[in-house]
Amino acid sequence: MQMEPVLSLRDVCVAVRGEELLFDINLDIPQGEIHAILGPNGGGKTSLMMTIMGFSGYTVTHGKILFHGEDITHATITERARMGIAVAQQRPPTIEGVRLAQVLDYVTADDLVRENLTSRYLSETNMEGFLKREINAGLSGGEIRRSELLQLIAMRPLFAMLDEPDSGVDVGSLELIGRMINEIFSQDPLTPAKRRSGLIITHNGAMLEHVLTDKAHVIIDGRMACSGNPRLILETAGASGYEHCAACIRGEYSGVGIR
Amino acid sequence: MSQRFPDVNSYIHSDDLQPVVGDELHLETSDSTSLAEVGVLFHTGQPRSGTFMVRDLHAVCAYSEVPGLEVLPIATALAQYPWLREQYSWNLISPEEDEITRQVAEAAPEGFFLRVRAGEKISLPYQTALYMASANIAQRIHNIVIVEDGAALELITGCLTHQGVQRGLHLAVSEFYVGEDSVLTNTMVHSWGAEVTVRPRAATRVGRNGVFNSNYVSLRTGADIVSNPLTLLVGEGASANFMSVILAEKGSRVNTGSRVELNATGTSAELKHRGVSTGGQIIQGGLMIGNAACRAHVDCSGMLISHDGGAFIESIPGVRSNHRDAQLSHEASIGKIAPEQVEYLMSRGFTESEAVSMIIRGFLDAGISGLGAELDAAIQHIAEVAAQGL
Repeated sequence: MQMEPVLSLRDVCVAVRGEELLFDINLDIPQGEIHAILGPNGGGKTSLMMTIMGFSGYTVTHGKILFHGEDITHATITERARMGIAVAQQRPPTIEGVRLAQVLDYVTADDLVRENLTSRYLSETNMEGFLKREINAGLSGGEIRRSELLQLIAMRPLFAMLDEPDSGVDVGSLELIGRMINEIFSQDPLTPAKRRSGLIITHNGAMLEHVLTDKAHVIIDGRMACSGNPRLILETAGASGYEHCAACIRGEYSGVGIR
Repeated sequence: MSQRFPDVNSYIHSDDLQPVVGDELHLETSDSTSLAEVGVLFHTGQPRSGTFMVRDLHAVCAYSEVPGLEVLPIATALAQYPWLREQYSWNLISPEEDEITRQVAEAAPEGFFLRVRAGEKISLPYQTALYMASANIAQRIHNIVIVEDGAALELITGCLTHQGVQRGLHLAVSEFYVGEDSVLTNTMVHSWGAEVTVRPRAATRVGRNGVFNSNYVSLRTGADIVSNPLTLLVGEGASANFMSVILAEKGSRVNTGSRVELNATGTSAELKHRGVSTGGQIIQGGLMIGNAACRAHVDCSGMLISHDGGAFIESIPGVRSNHRDAQLSHEASIGKIAPEQVEYLMSRGFTESEAVSMIIRGFLDAGISGLGAELDAAIQHIAEVAAQGL
């Protein structure tokens, strides 16, 4: 019996401030799989994650989003978060007077396992000093990644979405970031092959050395252009700045006559 | 914001009543609940050095549990100490200053006299309550606090109506004397019924290297509060810190100012206003007057959550220099809650109202810390109430 995918998008179209940005997105993430989202900047990768999380401003104009088979297209952000969906944003907002420690306290919810994990990674990432500081205020790119990933480690989501977790991270820290991501997706250290599910946006092949992904999807101009083996796609399409993919799409348009 | 003058004769006031002999302190549960909300505690083992309370029109409780701290009802103190009348009473504020002071001066005085003897540092806070347990009362209060040289006192003052009382009038004149090298921290929490008019008149004089800290939190603002305390930093190195946190709900008008005169070399003052309106009107003011080589800063910050029904926030921080070595600055901002902040917290599992409350709490806390458990709880309460007003 085929297991139901954790997350499914069915013909999803999304508009941002009245402008259509994503078109007819179909995506299935099976249980235990991590998929990479690739593509040029401005193509709609971040919008896809924000839509799945339910942020306002990302209006689903067509299609539906299913989580474990349940239609969450119109669920609130809180509902989705409490179902186990989480996102590590690339540019999270600063909130005056709200400290990282308060958010970590809230999300660990007195769960001892989560508390221990969180404090372990707090010290490994040298983020203790940031606990009492305003969340996201004045952080470097690398610090924001660590802060976001820490929060996800504390949340233990069933489905994690990571928006360029490697951007602004120096080569030396990539291994640590990779470990944090693997922690987020790990179910049980004794059975590493069993993982939780999620999505990673990246441009970086080195990232995919640290975090193994099962499949990659290329999004260009708001359309799902291609899906396949992550390494193959990154090596062929990524190297050409996705010009290869763009050309491929142009060919499809003339041939099949998709809008 | 009009400055409606409250007419004492439309309330029950002290001239209407015979003095009550042996009026005992008897508190119902609802009294204790109201009092605890403003930081005035009546349980055994309370962390306080003593209690003074005016209930309605009479002092019902006046004691100190520690040596070095003397507490008397003001009338008793004025009768007992001629020097109090000569040197301190109506010394910082004139009875002729305005209608409010005239009304208080004409009344049989109620209120407290507190004196900390030189060199005595009182470790536990002293609590006072100016409490209107009945409706339609006009309280006219006169307080005098003297912290002698080298002494220290933390004063918690709760001004409130019983939860069921809607209408009343509270006129209060307070004179604070902070001696050389002494510290007075005055934490005041207000919680008023919806139709209460409040007119405090406070003045403070701070001696050489003395420190005056004034914290003001308004939980329920009542109909109308106008407050513009005067602080005179007269001794070299004297300093003052003011902090106010105000929630203005629908129908309330709060006008808080603060005038600080920095009159000696090395004096300094800082004023921080934080106001949240869920439908009320807030005017935040503050004027720092530099008359010597000194340093002062005013910081007004507001968050308008709802602009329905004529709600507004107006910030008027001011500085005036009469001396070339006075270093004075001010800032003001009125913001809103950004949706991306709320949604960011929601994506961590917070409900919308939990998120808004945490953001308001953060706004109120910004730059303010170490106010203690009572104020922490009060500020949290404001954040939660304000979040419901969104």
